[in-house]
Amino acid sequence: MKRRKLIAVLMASVLSLGLLAGCGSGSDSGSDSDSGSGGSESGESSNEPITLTYYNADTNNDVWDNPVGRAITEATGVTLEISYPVGSTGDAAQDVALMIAEGKYPDLIYAKASATNLYEAGALIDMTDLIEQYGPNIKKMYGDEFKKLKWGNGDDGIYQLSAYGVNASTLNESGTCQIQWAVLKENDYKYPTTLAEYEKMIKDYLAAHPTTENGLETIGISMSASDWHWMITLGNPAGFIADAQPDNGQWIIDENYQCHYKHQTEEEKEYFKWLSRMYDEGVLDPQFDTQTDEDYIAKLSNGQVLAITDSLWHYAYGAHVALKQAGMLDKTYAGLPVTLREDQKAPTLQYQGLQVGWGIAISSSCKDPVRAIKFLDYICSDEGAVLYRWGIEGENYELDENGIRYRPQEEIDKSKSDPDYSKKTGIGNYQGFPIWGDGAEDENGNPYTPTTRASIIEQYNEEQQAACKAWGVEMVTDIFPQPDEFPSLPYSALWAYQIPQELSNAEALLNEIAWPGLVKCVKGGEANFDANWDAMVAEMEANGLRDTEKMMTEFLADKIN
Amino acid sequence: MAKQNVKHAQNKKKLSPALLWRQRYLLMMSLPFVIWLIIFKYIPLWGWTMAFQEVKPATFAVPIWERTFVGFENFMNAFKDRLFAQTIINTLGISILQIAVGTIVAILFAVFLNELAFFLGFKKLTQTISYLPHFVSWVIIASLAKNIFNDGGVLDTIFGRNLRLMSTNSPLIWVIIVIIDCWKEMGWNAIIYMSAMAGIDTGLYEAAEMDGANRFRKMWHITLPGIRSTIVVLLIMSIGGALNVGMERQMLLSNATVQDHTMVLSWFSYLRGIGNSDYGLGTALGVFQSVVGVTLLLIANKIAGLISDDKLV
Repeated sequence: MKRRKLIAVLMASVLSLGLLAGCGSGSDSGSDSDSGSGGSESGESSNEPITLTYYNADTNNDVWDNPVGRAITEATGVTLEISYPVGSTGDAAQDVALMIAEGKYPDLIYAKASATNLYEAGALIDMTDLIEQYGPNIKKMYGDEFKKLKWGNGDDGIYQLSAYGVNASTLNESGTCQIQWAVLKENDYKYPTTLAEYEKMIKDYLAAHPTTENGLETIGISMSASDWHWMITLGNPAGFIADAQPDNGQWIIDENYQCHYKHQTEEEKEYFKWLSRMYDEGVLDPQFDTQTDEDYIAKLSNGQVLAITDSLWHYAYGAHVALKQAGMLDKTYAGLPVTLREDQKAPTLQYQGLQVGWGIAISSSCKDPVRAIKFLDYICSDEGAVLYRWGIEGENYELDENGIRYRPQEEIDKSKSDPDYSKKTGIGNYQGFPIWGDGAEDENGNPYTPTTRASIIEQYNEEQQAACKAWGVEMVTDIFPQPDEFPSLPYSALWAYQIPQELSNAEALLNEIAWPGLVKCVKGGEANFDANWDAMVAEMEANGLRDTEKMMTEFLADKIN
Repeated sequence: MAKQNVKHAQNKKKLSPALLWRQRYLLMMSLPFVIWLIIFKYIPLWGWTMAFQEVKPATFAVPIWERTFVGFENFMNAFKDRLFAQTIINTLGISILQIAVGTIVAILFAVFLNELAFFLGFKKLTQTISYLPHFVSWVIIASLAKNIFNDGGVLDTIFGRNLRLMSTNSPLIWVIIVIIDCWKEMGWNAIIYMSAMAGIDTGLYEAAEMDGANRFRKMWHITLPGIRSTIVVLLIMSIGGALNVGMERQMLLSNATVQDHTMVLSWFSYLRGIGNSDYGLGTALGVFQSVVGVTLLLIANKIAGLISDDKLV
């Protein structure tokens, strides 16, 4: 009995302690939001504390309480209260649909592709005047590309900034297609530049090594085309290799800025005919169209597949990590500048300008747009940009004798090994913010971001170092045609624009025909290829191909002017 | 007393204040359910107005009366779509196959379990194991199924050649889908038949045994006729739902090659309605699906009434 009483007293005290603690934190946050709403009245003047809500479609944490977050609050008075997609699919579209139905929006929104819906529902405000008045740093950051931020379609307002890096130099090493380092090594690092050379190299290696060291069957080329990845492994490479065009989604843009749906050009016909031959000859994986994406990555991770037509972001995280762990570094992939004909230039490094279309926006229910724009202006200022990308001086980065920023090795290791690095430090943790691109430098040649040419070279693995030595170059990307060999483009990558619903529906219809159509062309045998190809193009023509192309051309023309 | 009873029987169908008053407690008890039905099943039908309006994201939030009415344009657009005809063929094809095969397999399985009655532990175990897949998500079932049926899967390995079970652009994929669905739902569907069998008078079996009927005779002449009305009611109901073929398994088991034969109505309305942000068209397809469903239900019911007395309504 006594004991029971004792326990009860203990429990009661614990409970009341918990209650007290609860009250404590409760009143804290209370005072926070109080002062926030108080600050909204004053607008113009100061850095009084204010809490702005921010919907971020690209994150999975709401941490603001970290060194970078606190430093931003100190400089601007703004504390961000972050929300992010929590639906089963993690898809912002559902959250945005709810916001529209309710008519209530967070102060700042980064909605990715759903921005069109918000715009059409009148949920975003035009920032032009605000930037004119309060945003000198925003204008400075975007510089010549500032006018690209205009919405278009007859509306010259600026409704969102860009989430993509400004002045980025392309350090992408995907190439147009890829081959295992092991295959290149066997050819003394002679790399193929045309499809015919590529084919020969794969076939020779395949004949010499019918199985891998661990007894698995060697596969010439594989793909992941049973779901939307078909666009990455079956569709996009056709544009890079055959048309030698940079990534404009499903479109080819000619020198007169006419848009053509890409899976119908003569060059692509030749490319897919080649693929069809590869299928007939057993070089192309017979399961390329039915295997799941997981199976595809598993095959790459086994070191079974000699060559792929893919993009670095797709295979790097699954396959390359697994291969490194298994000690099969020579089975990782090298990007190649392969094109259909010799006179074409692999477009990997072509600078496509600032990508606009996805970015942070101020909503119509923002409690204080002036403070919001000032906040964004701070993020664009040199001080804010360095803070957000590099962190705190002396803590996350140091200055060398010339005053150039660099990260100590210890910090680099931490950033790589700690999955919560950006959450803990706040560096790069707030996707959607306007940022400088990798490789961009200020007027003193001081890099705005930790990723630079030098930092990339430093991180090369043995295979890449050996290749650079054999090729006598500094970076593996130096074997690609360089950015200055290409004309500069007056438009951004087409896929990143916010395209009107009607047009994107029309494009989706063409994709719906192209996907099974192309698979059929490849699998139908070389003899039936022409008939299959013509049938596919005819089907597309019957479903508005020409009209859609015209609409897209007009859309682009509007963007260029 | 007897006279009163007769009078009751005569008045049974006539609605009178006296009758209502007499049954006031019964009526009150049913009231919450009627209200529930109205709130959750009938008031939402108001949303069908969207089928006759242009509803895009821009007009999604505005009140119904401020949207533009477009008459039957949404329906016309849906019917003219390049995928529509094939979609209907696929939906009906898969549905009929599934109703036929699914019902037969479930009945056979129920009869099989029923015959095991003497061996209780085994029967319970078998039944439990057989309906477990019903509770497993299609995502998991589909990845299991792909391991078995896909190119390079278990079956291909066993037969030593590519059977192309899931990569032939033909109604073969319907068969594969129905086989997978059968495996998943067989145990679950058998439960109702089993409970119907439990209601059959055991005296009948004894009498048949006395007359010298063997096991199969008893199944054929007692068990199956005993559950006939259950079978008919379930059949009528499933025919009413012939167009409601679930889309998740279709999407999960599909690929570019077989897509022509996996597209079904629910997927189609998702693709063109939600996917294209054309909510009006999506609603129109939903309305179409409901109207066809009710029509099919009534026809099936009529036919069942003509053939035998077992009718749903």
